[in-house]
Amino acid sequence: MTERWFPDEMPMPAANAETVGWWEAAADHRLVVQRCTECGRTRHPPGPVCPRCRSTSAQWSPLAGTGTVYTYTVVHQAFIPSLQDRVPYVVIAVELDGADGARMVSDLVDADPDEVAVGLPVEVAWEDMGPELAVPRFRPASGPGRTRTGTRP
Amino acid sequence: MVGPVNAPGRSGHGRPSGRGRRGRPGGRSERGRRGRDACLVGVGETRYAKWGGITGTSEYQLAVEAILAAVADAGMTPDDVDGLASFAEDRNDATFVAADLGLPELRYASLSWLPGGGGACAAVANAAMAVESGAAEVVVVYRSLCQGQFRRFGQGPGNMSARVGPPRVPHVRRATSLLEAHVAFTMPFGMFSPPIAYAMVLRRHMHRFGTTVEQMGHVAVTTRAHAARNPRAVMGDRPMTIEDYLASRMVSEPFRLFDCCLENDGACAVVVTTAERAADAAKVPVTVLGSAQGALQGFGHGQYSNVGMPDDDYTSSGARGVAARLWARAGVGPGDVDVAQIYDHFTGLVLLSLEDFGFCERGEGGPYAASGALAWPNGALPTNTHGGSLSEAYIHGLNHVVEGVRQMRGESTCQVQGAETCLVTSAAGVPTSALVLGRP
Repeated sequence: MTERWFPDEMPMPAANAETVGWWEAAADHRLVVQRCTECGRTRHPPGPVCPRCRSTSAQWSPLAGTGTVYTYTVVHQAFIPSLQDRVPYVVIAVELDGADGARMVSDLVDADPDEVAVGLPVEVAWEDMGPELAVPRFRPASGPGRTRTGTRP
Repeated sequence: MVGPVNAPGRSGHGRPSGRGRRGRPGGRSERGRRGRDACLVGVGETRYAKWGGITGTSEYQLAVEAILAAVADAGMTPDDVDGLASFAEDRNDATFVAADLGLPELRYASLSWLPGGGGACAAVANAAMAVESGAAEVVVVYRSLCQGQFRRFGQGPGNMSARVGPPRVPHVRRATSLLEAHVAFTMPFGMFSPPIAYAMVLRRHMHRFGTTVEQMGHVAVTTRAHAARNPRAVMGDRPMTIEDYLASRMVSEPFRLFDCCLENDGACAVVVTTAERAADAAKVPVTVLGSAQGALQGFGHGQYSNVGMPDDDYTSSGARGVAARLWARAGVGPGDVDVAQIYDHFTGLVLLSLEDFGFCERGEGGPYAASGALAWPNGALPTNTHGGSLSEAYIHGLNHVVEGVRQMRGESTCQVQGAETCLVTSAAGVPTSALVLGRP
């Protein structure tokens, strides 16, 4: 099992035919984005048809797992009881490198909430929430000269 | 107007935008409704109370009571009603309402697809289209919301019971709806609720345009002052200063508690009929000068589930297309509006709506609100004169339509003197809808 940042009681994903492949890749700690095989447009969350060329043919395109924070919020209210000891936590929208503008919702972990900013470089950090179920969180990207502060459990 | 644009022989259709009455003597008379043109002739509501404040009466019964009140206000009885319309996954099915109210014959029933609070104006527009087409004569639009009896709206579908169920889920579950599969990309990340999703929108708006929390606070404080004059308002006896606002607890930055709308119990309803029938109504009929609904391609399903849309869309209310069509169909522009009821699930999104409906430039919603523009009676655009969802009640914005009707009748507790045109908008941040109301 990987490091844990969120409690077991977090809502777990449900999937349909269009999205299950994304969660299967996540279980293997592979971050992917759905890409139209006809015109190359990416889309997230995954869907049955390309909104640009209307092709129904798509593939799972592997990503490097890095990106930048597009926007964020620091959540102070524990919307589920087991988050009472976990707040404040940082929800981010990540602009994913190599995904042609596709963004995803995730969390900033291993960082003090004060560290978050629009444009912060981040890298994926997988959290195994159960057998065959992994959720991609993000931590500040490790880079030369970068120091970390305030690691959170 | 809700009929086809440029239909001949009907006043007010498809006029070019900007045909304002101001500086155009006699413009008003051109707008008289005739024949089957839709009018709003009755409004009604139950008592509004904070979450859990209504326990002895079911949400469904409140819906029925609101409908009866609106019908009585119109000088009608349920025997006159042949259509029902609602929105936002209404739990109170029109077919049951029709049967239980003993309507002589149900000829029209519709539920808007627009999500959540995006559909209040659309439900009215759909009712208007029904009477204008001749499908029905009298359609009642209703909305009942008892959050004490049910869960918080907008929590995402399916079982939040996942949170109290088995601690580990061995496999990804099969989604039972498109929405459930979609929010799988937000809920496991702790984006449980609309304030989290729209806090991120406002953060980006702040980053791009320099919007401030004090500017958002202006919306909260101003509409609270309006509520103080409204005996129906849940927060009518709770005055608020900007200091009170800033001292309220943080929910999801930059949203504090007082940036977020109320959670409460109550219901309201609006009666829609033809101008011909409206001539017999008990009160002055209010005309629907224009309506529009939907979303532009880039905005898609809205920021709640889609953070990948173009930046210009992400930092907007999503209503630019609706606004453009609304003004064109109504034959008026933002400069002609005397009073506005702007959907206010969150203070910050009011700023975005003000921009997209053209009351100020893009990015200038904050300074516009901070200028005092929204304040009754002297602001440039008295807004949410009932107190809005922030301070009167959260009935998914159908109470904004009710207040629009009252303004056009001259009955508001914050009446804008001589008001002849009222904008009503539904929720920002999702595919949405809007109305322009007028006096005959």
